[in-house]
Amino acid sequence: MKPLSDANSSDTLDTNLRQFIYRHFIREGRAPAVAEMAAALSSPVRKVRAALERLAQTHAFVLQVTGELWRAAPFSAVPTAFPVRSGKRAWYGNCIWDALGIPAMLHQNAQIDASCGCCNYEMVLRVGEGRLLGPKGIVHIAVPARHWYDDIVFT
Amino acid sequence: MLLFRSEQHVDRWCTQWNRPRGGTLTLNQGWRLAKEWYEDRLSPDWRPKTVAEAEAAFARIGLVGEFWKLSG
Repeated sequence: MKPLSDANSSDTLDTNLRQFIYRHFIREGRAPAVAEMAAALSSPVRKVRAALERLAQTHAFVLQVTGELWRAAPFSAVPTAFPVRSGKRAWYGNCIWDALGIPAMLHQNAQIDASCGCCNYEMVLRVGEGRLLGPKGIVHIAVPARHWYDDIVFT
Repeated sequence: MLLFRSEQHVDRWCTQWNRPRGGTLTLNQGWRLAKEWYEDRLSPDWRPKTVAEAEAAFARIGLVGEFWKLSG
């Protein structure tokens, strides 16, 4: 068992790292690199990588094979078919749920330049004053809930 | 999780990719689900939902049944 002081230290690093990653996404529109995380938190890269592994256990964070961030839900670190704009800022959601999750998380108006998963027909969604505006549509989830994290990329 | 124009387009996608039909939500349910999941995400005290909390969130927006169960 880890000494309590180490556990507290890990918890603090994890919380600070999580907050830094989200703030960086919001401000810059992209994921921070591991080196940027380490510099911002004045923490060794190996400790940041260990913290990222712990955050990934929540399923909210997914890492690339390189150890860099792939996603910090609802944000994607790589371009997707779910671009979200709010004011002058823009991000990518991992799926339509996450694209809607960005304005929900930020409590801001936003536009989602989505399209039909079948035929690519443009379906622009707008969130304004906490309400969803836009065309009618259907959200389809191919995988039953208990298997979502078996292959989160497909889900 | 994808967005479609209609139920017919969901069916076409499932046929094209040889996938069984999964669960569907209205866009309004999708927005409510996004709020349930992400409204508190920036809180320093955020933690992942427990299975019971997640299932309760699904139920609040009408997502019930075997497809939406996380337990068992």
